[in-house]
Amino acid sequence: MRTPNEMIGVVPVGDVPETPINVIAAHITGYLNLPAEILPPLDVPMDAFDPRRLQYDAGKILSRLETLDFGRFGKLIGVFNQDLFVPIFTHVYGEARQGGKAALVSLFRLGKISGGALPPEDVVLERAAKVALHELGHLFNQVHCEDHRCLMHFSGSLEDLDATPFNFCRYCAEALRI
Amino acid sequence: MSDKMNIMIVDDEKIVRESLYHWFSKEGHVVETAASGFEALEKLEAYPFELLFVDIKMPRMDGIELLGRIKADYPDTLVIIITAYGSIESAVTAMRMGASDYLLKPFKPDHLSLVMERIFHQKKLAAEFKYLKGRLDKITRFDNIIGQSAPMENIFRLIPEVAQSDTSVLITGETGTGKELVAKAIHAKSKRAQFPFIAINCGAMPDTLLESELFGHQRGAFTGAVLARKGFLEVVSGGTLFLDEIGEITGKMQIDLLRVLEEKRINRIGSSQPIEVDFRLISATRQNLEQAIAGGRFREDFYYRINVIHIDVPPLRKRKEDIPLLARHFLEKYSQETAKKVDHLDRAAMDILRNYDWPGNVRELENAIERAVVLAKSRTLGPEDLSFLGTSPVPVEMKRSLREVEKTHIRNILEQCDWNVTRAAKILDINRVTLHKKMNRYRITRESRDGSKALSAHAHPQ
Repeated sequence: MRTPNEMIGVVPVGDVPETPINVIAAHITGYLNLPAEILPPLDVPMDAFDPRRLQYDAGKILSRLETLDFGRFGKLIGVFNQDLFVPIFTHVYGEARQGGKAALVSLFRLGKISGGALPPEDVVLERAAKVALHELGHLFNQVHCEDHRCLMHFSGSLEDLDATPFNFCRYCAEALRI
Repeated sequence: MSDKMNIMIVDDEKIVRESLYHWFSKEGHVVETAASGFEALEKLEAYPFELLFVDIKMPRMDGIELLGRIKADYPDTLVIIITAYGSIESAVTAMRMGASDYLLKPFKPDHLSLVMERIFHQKKLAAEFKYLKGRLDKITRFDNIIGQSAPMENIFRLIPEVAQSDTSVLITGETGTGKELVAKAIHAKSKRAQFPFIAINCGAMPDTLLESELFGHQRGAFTGAVLARKGFLEVVSGGTLFLDEIGEITGKMQIDLLRVLEEKRINRIGSSQPIEVDFRLISATRQNLEQAIAGGRFREDFYYRINVIHIDVPPLRKRKEDIPLLARHFLEKYSQETAKKVDHLDRAAMDILRNYDWPGNVRELENAIERAVVLAKSRTLGPEDLSFLGTSPVPVEMKRSLREVEKTHIRNILEQCDWNVTRAAKILDINRVTLHKKMNRYRITRESRDGSKALSAHAHPQ
């Protein structure tokens, strides 16, 4: 359950371009009606890299984010530019623990080839914002939604993600008190 | 039907358990984890999980062995095998053993999503199948008459044949064997099925009341008859009259009913106007009517009139092979009725049910299961849930001498009576002196709680 005016901190993890960070922060304020502030970048935790998979372990980065001093921020969302995994999955676009304090978005796969051509930048930014809103939903204890037209619906592929509109269904919106 | 399920993740690797736990929590499922096959079986015994994700490679009990045990004991539980590239062959074996699907580690998130969609579809189909099968069973299984033993199969064969004719049927059998269910099944299969089925327990009412109930009465026929009333013989018109405990009716009532069966006409009490009646008579008794005839308590002519076709329903102890089937049926029934998730009987509990004598027959079994379900603390009924049956969980060994059996029985009854010899003698239906003699002869003594021998029983003041 979110509290009114809960501050959300957007944390670049490692070297991340500025635009997606700004877009994510703006969408949090625009869609969740919560103040979002961009925080100084966090160094990539070294132990998060898995040399066998050449990917970063989302769980380890989340754990690192959770150890930060939250100060006036209720939740933190990390934005990462490398490929993320959780041990059972080949990859993830984002990760959050249900009802937790920190979430993570990876931009790495969001700019990949879709339908044979590189997607335009605005599509990539939209995808990043959708993943961020979805993961924040989990931090506010929302589970996956069955409605395909809701941002809390699980998107397993970029096609699914693109097909999801910028919208929370009325049940999720009600639960998120938007 | 909700697509939220009770899921258990079984994997010896903590990281896998945690990853899947978080994933399914986000989906809104109820998730539990187990680090080994043994832990999974323990949790399954306590709670009905619908879906298990089982890692194929685990120490001590691998996924294949666990799958085998799940499918043997909980066939409705769905299992998805998690495997690495190196063990695809085992995954194929698992599919042959009844696994619903398998996932190769690591898998794509959308692949897991697809598998879950398939599982939900499978679950929906299974629920529909179960519902339709239940409907079909109700149509074809003569309601609650359940059995696969030879005598019951014989009854099942007999029912539709008997139903075609209109002759009187006598159903014999001990109390609680399901005589009324057989009568109802005959009625349901007969051409009278759309007319009433009226059951009267003759043993439960005095003769005058039974007469008035059956024949009806005119207004003023006797004190209190302020209105004219139709009797059941009229009300049943076109249907089946089931007279239970027929052996209890008086000689006069036997004559009256014999006349009705021959003339198909009745007179209401206090009326001389005959009324045509049309019904089929099915009677039932737990008595030996031939002995009652020999003793002069039952009329021979009436007996032959009601006993054109005879069906004997065997007591439960003579068809013990039906006990598991019946037990599972009642378990399912009361599990649904009481909304308690008790849907499994362990082997020791089943042994108790098989070895118990069931003097109250199927009715007693049904009551026992209902009681056990209501009081059960976990999903699985064990011996402790059936302790009220007062049987030893140890099955009777067949190669024991009469002397040994008597000794054990006396000891059990004494323990049950807290070593009160008077009460034990009463249960054993022998006098106290005889019981003391037997206790001396068999050297039956009370053992103190710490296991050491205490005073001999005959020394106890009773």
